Amino acid sequence: MKEHPRTAPQKGFNFDYLMWLFTRLSALGMYLIAIVGVTAALLMSARQNMSVADLMRWAFMPNPNHVVNTNIPNVDTWKGIFWNVMGILMLLFAGGHGLHGLLNVLEDYISRTWVRNLLRGLVLVVWVVMSAIGIYVILTS
Amino acid sequence: MEVTIKVFRYNPEKDKKPSYKTYKLEAIETDRVLDLLEKVKGYQDGTLSFRRSCAHGICGSDAMRINGFNRLACKTLVRDTGATIIVQPLLGLRVIKDLIVDMEPFFEHYRSVKPWLINDEPEPEKERTQSAAQRAIFDDTTKCILCACCTTSCPSFWANEQYVGPAAIVAAHRFIFDSRDKAAAERLKILNEVWGVYRCHTVFNCTMACPREIQITKAIGEVKMALTTGKLE
Repeated sequence: MKEHPRTAPQKGFNFDYLMWLFTRLSALGMYLIAIVGVTAALLMSARQNMSVADLMRWAFMPNPNHVVNTNIPNVDTWKGIFWNVMGILMLLFAGGHGLHGLLNVLEDYISRTWVRNLLRGLVLVVWVVMSAIGIYVILTS
Repeated sequence: MEVTIKVFRYNPEKDKKPSYKTYKLEAIETDRVLDLLEKVKGYQDGTLSFRRSCAHGICGSDAMRINGFNRLACKTLVRDTGATIIVQPLLGLRVIKDLIVDMEPFFEHYRSVKPWLINDEPEPEKERTQSAAQRAIFDDTTKCILCACCTTSCPSFWANEQYVGPAAIVAAHRFIFDSRDKAAAERLKILNEVWGVYRCHTVFNCTMACPREIQITKAIGEVKMALTTGKLE
């Protein structure tokens, strides 16, 4: 029926679009990391040696410090580069997701462009500093 | 049955601040809130001001806040409100007098998304044809009557009047997904700005408030998907 193809819409690659997309993808990413964490933990004898609370803590931040106080006999398999990367990804996703959520709600109330840009810069600094501290903790655990 | 109707009153020429005035009147269950307001204005207090036109849920003039929900007074029955009714003007827009609000910011946003068919191609010999399936994509959003119930129930609009609001996005959706229209990219660009679709936090107030039962949040989601995927059909 169409004689001419319709004009392709302009894909948004501005900050609002990218952060909207990041918020959705980071949520899925966090679910994925948590599922990998739980699955791996169960394979590493968590069912016999960990409470559900400890398991959840591990799932949402796979750090060996969250295992040492459980009945897991050997923590060696619970640490390493893979779990460091998973922990760092979870930290970056969670920080970015949460801080952008806060920013998004605050921006509802901000009319002036310079105030919005200032706030965005501030949130970026907070995210970078928090992430740097978190990454340091993860890598030195 | 006796009904008590408490109405928001404000006359900027006389009143320093708004107040509420209570009226009591006889009504039956199938009376509409609009009927009650007409009775109050006709028999008790001629100074009461409110908008109304068709009184049959088509023109969208008598949108107001009834017992805390945005409704059309002509479609809200006493049976559904109960014997005590609180009537207020729509939130988020300046009150001109009593239940009448300044709709200009609302219509400004509506106009900003170019709610008309844009097609510069040569006109065909007959009409521009469209299949039933192509029409079905935007059928829901053609039902909008511009009553502003959705936009004035949206917390993002309450927070900032610069947000285009659900009604404008619905209007844009109606043309973005119309296969005869050629300006989808133009409208999507407008909605891709900071005051466009990203101010929608999927609260669903708009969908709850719409007297035409348009799935507004879904329509906004479809516009977001069109921005992401580029697919219009």
